[in-house]
Amino acid sequence: MKGSVVQTLILSDWNRHRFFIMLSIFGGVLALGLVAWGGELPTILGSTWFFVSLIVLGCMMPVSNVINERKKQTLPFLMSLPISVAQYTLAKIVSTFGMFLVPWLSLVVAGGLLIVGRQNIPDGIITVLLILAGFTLVGFCVVAGVAIATESESWTIVATIALNSSYGFGWYVLIRNRELRTGFGNADPVWSPTVLTILLSEAAIVAVVLALTFFVQSRKRDFI
Amino acid sequence: MMDLVIKLDGVRKKYRFFSLDNICLELPPGQIMGLIGPNGAGKSTTIRILMGLVHQDGGDVRVLGHRMPQEQVSAKWDIGFASDDMRLYEAMTLEWHMNLIRSIYPKWDAAYAQLLLKRFGLRAEQRIKEFSHGQRVKATLLLVFARRPRLLILDEPTTGLDPVARHEILRELTGVMADEGRSILFSSHNTQDVEQISDQITFIDRGRIIDSMDKEVYLDRWRRLRLEVPAGIELPALPGIIHVRQQGRLAIATSNVFAPDLANAYENTGARVQSIETMTLEEIFVANVEHSREEVDA
Amino acid sequence: MDGFVISQTDKRPIYLQIMEQIKRRVAVGDWAEGQSIPSIRQLAVDLSVSVITVKRAYLELEREGVIVTQQGKGSRVAPNPGLGMRLQEQELKKHLEQAIRLSAVLGLQPEELEGRLREASENIAAKESS
Repeated sequence: MKGSVVQTLILSDWNRHRFFIMLSIFGGVLALGLVAWGGELPTILGSTWFFVSLIVLGCMMPVSNVINERKKQTLPFLMSLPISVAQYTLAKIVSTFGMFLVPWLSLVVAGGLLIVGRQNIPDGIITVLLILAGFTLVGFCVVAGVAIATESESWTIVATIALNSSYGFGWYVLIRNRELRTGFGNADPVWSPTVLTILLSEAAIVAVVLALTFFVQSRKRDFI
Repeated sequence: MMDLVIKLDGVRKKYRFFSLDNICLELPPGQIMGLIGPNGAGKSTTIRILMGLVHQDGGDVRVLGHRMPQEQVSAKWDIGFASDDMRLYEAMTLEWHMNLIRSIYPKWDAAYAQLLLKRFGLRAEQRIKEFSHGQRVKATLLLVFARRPRLLILDEPTTGLDPVARHEILRELTGVMADEGRSILFSSHNTQDVEQISDQITFIDRGRIIDSMDKEVYLDRWRRLRLEVPAGIELPALPGIIHVRQQGRLAIATSNVFAPDLANAYENTGARVQSIETMTLEEIFVANVEHSREEVDA
Repeated sequence: MDGFVISQTDKRPIYLQIMEQIKRRVAVGDWAEGQSIPSIRQLAVDLSVSVITVKRAYLELEREGVIVTQQGKGSRVAPNPGLGMRLQEQELKKHLEQAIRLSAVLGLQPEELEGRLREASENIAAKESS
């Protein structure tokens, strides 16, 4: 019985956000379309827009799905249902992550297919795609974790701004590494130890953030 | 009593500027309890503790036999909760919410839900953001009523409603009591509503329970005596009289444990009892709060 | 419940209002002797009042001999001829006591009160004949 209440909540979150999710996917696909069109400007615009879509999705999803429950005062309604705080958190984590990962994965795959499919785009770019998409994933996880743990709009905004500011810096650091740079321009993807380390670190941060979120949430005594 | 629907024993909760102290409360099955008290008295906090939404610092909380907040999931299957600071999802329709509740609770009564839609004058296909305040409150209560829960816990269910809407809600609340197995605890500012439909009344002020008992017994204890005090007579302080106001030769004495001897006691001192009046719950409310605050401050 | 009205402006306790309205029906004959009356719970639901209030009203009515309640069988109007008269008698007594109390407030002597009573009686007779 209890598992199904969690399921119902997850489905309800998906239900309420379906328009938003489709819009993000659509926006990302349009961006890829620009890149596919070719030419320096469309490529730059399209690839920027592609990552911006992922960043925006990553910031908006935790706010809309988590912060708004408290802000719009729907939280007492949800907590009047037969679930515990832990079950509520689980439902929120699953739905929030799901609603980000599905568009994210779709767009990363679409981006990958575009890179592999097009002759004029070096396949080495795939590592860039994965690393930068990984940035947006890590960014999302941190914002989502902050949103769930603090339930504070202000802190979530702080996290959003901090992360958004760091993407540019991260890209700058990456691009200065000559080994990475040559790898990016290569016809085939170069899975150097550096690249793998970066990707693994991103995955590790995601895991840590998730664990921390659960931990902080379980310590709360006054949920409402 | 083993099957008390609600039992609070020595419950306390401390906040920075406010604390609940030694809250003891019992609700037997098949009754309505009205919880009244001034703003900030602790009604909402007490209700949240009942729902397991706030963890008490100490004391025992049992709702439908379940210990709260540990067993809140089990308890909430049979509790219908609504509070005045609770909102539904604005962008979704009432029907969407009805489906949500229906998919969770097996006891959803679809026929009753349709009847309530008609009685409350609500359209299921409308979005919540298009509802007026009163319609929104009624929609929230509809979701609670149509589940036919064993216990309803309602925080200010009639606040902000126009007289017609209030009447509709009171009708449904008392309608619930046709089933002896169901109980209601509700808080309200509206002493008229509480006086009308409650079986039990609990009075709370500044985090403490001042009174908790059968409503009729309670109303019967309070009297206002109008006295004529001849010149030269001084009114004695009598036990059971909590307040006396005298202007010239007329005085009004208020008692919270009235018995006919009280009137005789006055007559014996030479004062004349012109009339003995019952008091409305509103009048009792004000007198009680003032009196209890005097006692605490003293 | 047709005809039953719980008045907010009537400052008397609700159980008294219920009692009075039941007594009126009985006195007038709308509720006949031996006739079944709504159960406590049913009346409470119909009037939107608490069960405990109706219970009290019924208890008092039973004590006054107006109704009779049997365990498991519900309540009915008590079989009692002259009940109608007794109720009216009670009403009259109450009104007289009220008049006496009021005249005391006004500082009237009993003879003055008698005079007022005669005056009022003549006025009503005059109105009825015209």
